[in-house]
Amino acid sequence: MWRKSSEGSDRFEYLQTLVTEFQDTDCEEAKEQVLANLANFAYDPTNMEHLRQLQVTDLFLDMLTEDNENFVEFGMGGLCNLSMDPECRELILQSGGIRLVTDCLSSQREETVLSAITTLMNLAAAPSPRSSHITDPAVLQCMLRFSLSESPRLRNLATVFLRDCCGEEQVARAERQMQGQQSAVGIPLPKDG
Amino acid sequence: MAAPEDKIPGCWVAPEVYKHHEQRRVCISRPKYREGRNAKAVKVYTINLESRYLMVQGVPAIGVMTELIQLCALYGAVEEYRPLDEYPAEDFTEVYLVKFQKLTSARAAKRRMDEKSFYGGVLHVCYVPEYESVEDTRSKLLDRRRYIMRAAQNKVREREQKETGNEEPTTSKTATTSEKIISRRDRMTNNDNRGENSNFSHYSGFPLLPLPPQEHPYYGHKTQHGTIPTEDKMGTLHNAIINTKQQPAQGLSFSQTSSDRESGTEQRLTPNPASVVRFVPRTTNLENRKRKKEDVPEDTHTDVSGKSEPLIGPKLPEPPKLDMEDESLNTTVSLIRSTMKQVGSVPDIKPVEKKIKPRRRI
Repeated sequence: MWRKSSEGSDRFEYLQTLVTEFQDTDCEEAKEQVLANLANFAYDPTNMEHLRQLQVTDLFLDMLTEDNENFVEFGMGGLCNLSMDPECRELILQSGGIRLVTDCLSSQREETVLSAITTLMNLAAAPSPRSSHITDPAVLQCMLRFSLSESPRLRNLATVFLRDCCGEEQVARAERQMQGQQSAVGIPLPKDG
Repeated sequence: MAAPEDKIPGCWVAPEVYKHHEQRRVCISRPKYREGRNAKAVKVYTINLESRYLMVQGVPAIGVMTELIQLCALYGAVEEYRPLDEYPAEDFTEVYLVKFQKLTSARAAKRRMDEKSFYGGVLHVCYVPEYESVEDTRSKLLDRRRYIMRAAQNKVREREQKETGNEEPTTSKTATTSEKIISRRDRMTNNDNRGENSNFSHYSGFPLLPLPPQEHPYYGHKTQHGTIPTEDKMGTLHNAIINTKQQPAQGLSFSQTSSDRESGTEQRLTPNPASVVRFVPRTTNLENRKRKKEDVPEDTHTDVSGKSEPLIGPKLPEPPKLDMEDESLNTTVSLIRSTMKQVGSVPDIKPVEKKIKPRRRI
C-alpha cells in the first residue's frame, strides 16, 4: 500500500523534507545520514523525476568539493546512481559536472573513485558535445593506471572504461604519452574503501 | 606489474578481505521520520557495490553446503558456488561464494538471507563484486543503464498518456497551472483507484485461501447442536476445541444421534487434536504404529460382525434404506439400530484414537 501511494506526491514531500533538513541542519552526522538517504533514493528510477525537481543533482555536485570524505563519497555515490538516467545526465553536464567528477578520481577512497568512473562512463553515453571532455588524455592516463591496480574492482571498471568509452588510438596515444612522462606513476592509488 | 585482467577468472584467486565485506554498525541517531523498518547503517548503494556474486559468512561447519545452496536457489538460479576455505572465518563456521545467474536473484537472496539464522548460525551475506570478471562488470553496468532507460521511457510515456487523457475532459481554455493541478489530482485519484483495486483483489482472493480452522468448527457445530448461528471465526474455533475435549465423555449419547454424521465429525475434528498436540516422542509414535497395524485386521472383523460401520464416511445413503413402510417394522428397525449403535459405540472410541495418531506425525 505504502509503495503505491509513494509514487505520487507523498514520496515527493518526503524527499523535500529530506532536502530541507539537509539544508537547515548544522549537525554533520544528520547531514551525512540525509545525504546517504538521498543517494540511496537515487537508485530507484521512480524517484528520478522528484530528485530532478528538487535539484538534488546540484546538491550532490556541491558535496564533491567538501572536506568531509563521507560527504564526497555519498555525493559521488548519489551522482553515480542518478547519472544512469538520461535526463539527470543532461543536468549534470549542464552544471559542469565532468570537471568535479574527474577531480574525484584522485580520491583516497576506493568507493568514491569507483563511483566517479561509473559516473563518467554514464556521462560519456550522453549524446552531448560536452561529454567529449570525458576522454581527456589526463583521464585516460588515470584509467590506464587504474587498469593495473591491485584491486579487482578498480581494475575491471577502468578496463571497461578504456574499452567502451574511447577509441583504441586514443588509448594508444595516452599510453605513449604516459611512457614519456614518468611522473604520472608517482600519483598514489586509492586505498581500499 | 603484470595486469591479470580477465585471463584469470576472478573466482579462483585467493580471496582478500575488503572493507565492504564488513557489517557496518547500524545508525541509531536517526530522527523518527527517517527511521526505516529495520536498523541500517549509513551507507550508499551503487551498482558498483552490487554483484551477482555473494559471499555467505557464518555458515556452521556441519556439512550443510547443499542446504545452503538449496536455500540460495529459492531466490534464483545459482550458476556456481564453492567454499572459500582460504577466507578468514570465525571458529566452526565456513564461508561460501555463490554466483547467481542474475543480479536480481542475488539481491533478493542477500535481502532475505542476511542476518538470518541458519542451522544455529547467523548468516552474513554481502556482495563480492571483486570476483567479477571484466565482462561481468561490463554487462552489469550495461544492464543497469538499459533498465533505467526503459524505466525513464515508461515514465515519459505514462506522462504523455496522462496529459492527452486530461486534455479531453478539460477542452475549455484552461491555464497551464490549473491543468497541472488537475493532472496531479487525476494522478491522485488514479492512485486511489489502484489502491482500491488491489484491495478488491485482496478480498476476492480471501475465500480462495485454505481456511482449515474455519471449516472444522462449522461442521462440529452442526452435529452437536443442529444449526447454530455462526459467530466470528475466533468464537467458532474456540468451540471446536472444546468439542474435541468433550467427545470421549459424551461418547454414548453422541453416537445415538446418527452414525454417518458422527463419522463425519470425527474425521473433521481429528486435525484439531493433532494441532493441539504438537510433539510426540519418536518411541511412542513407533508403538502407536505397531498397535495400529495389529488393530487394523481386528477392526475389519468387528465391522463385519457388528455391521455398525460407524467410521466409514461415504456410506450416507444408509438411513433411507431402512424405511420399511410400516410403523411396527420401523420401530423394530429403529430399536435394532439403536442397540447396534450402542454396541458399535464401544469400539467406536478406540478407532477414533487410532485415526488421530497417524495424523499426529504430520
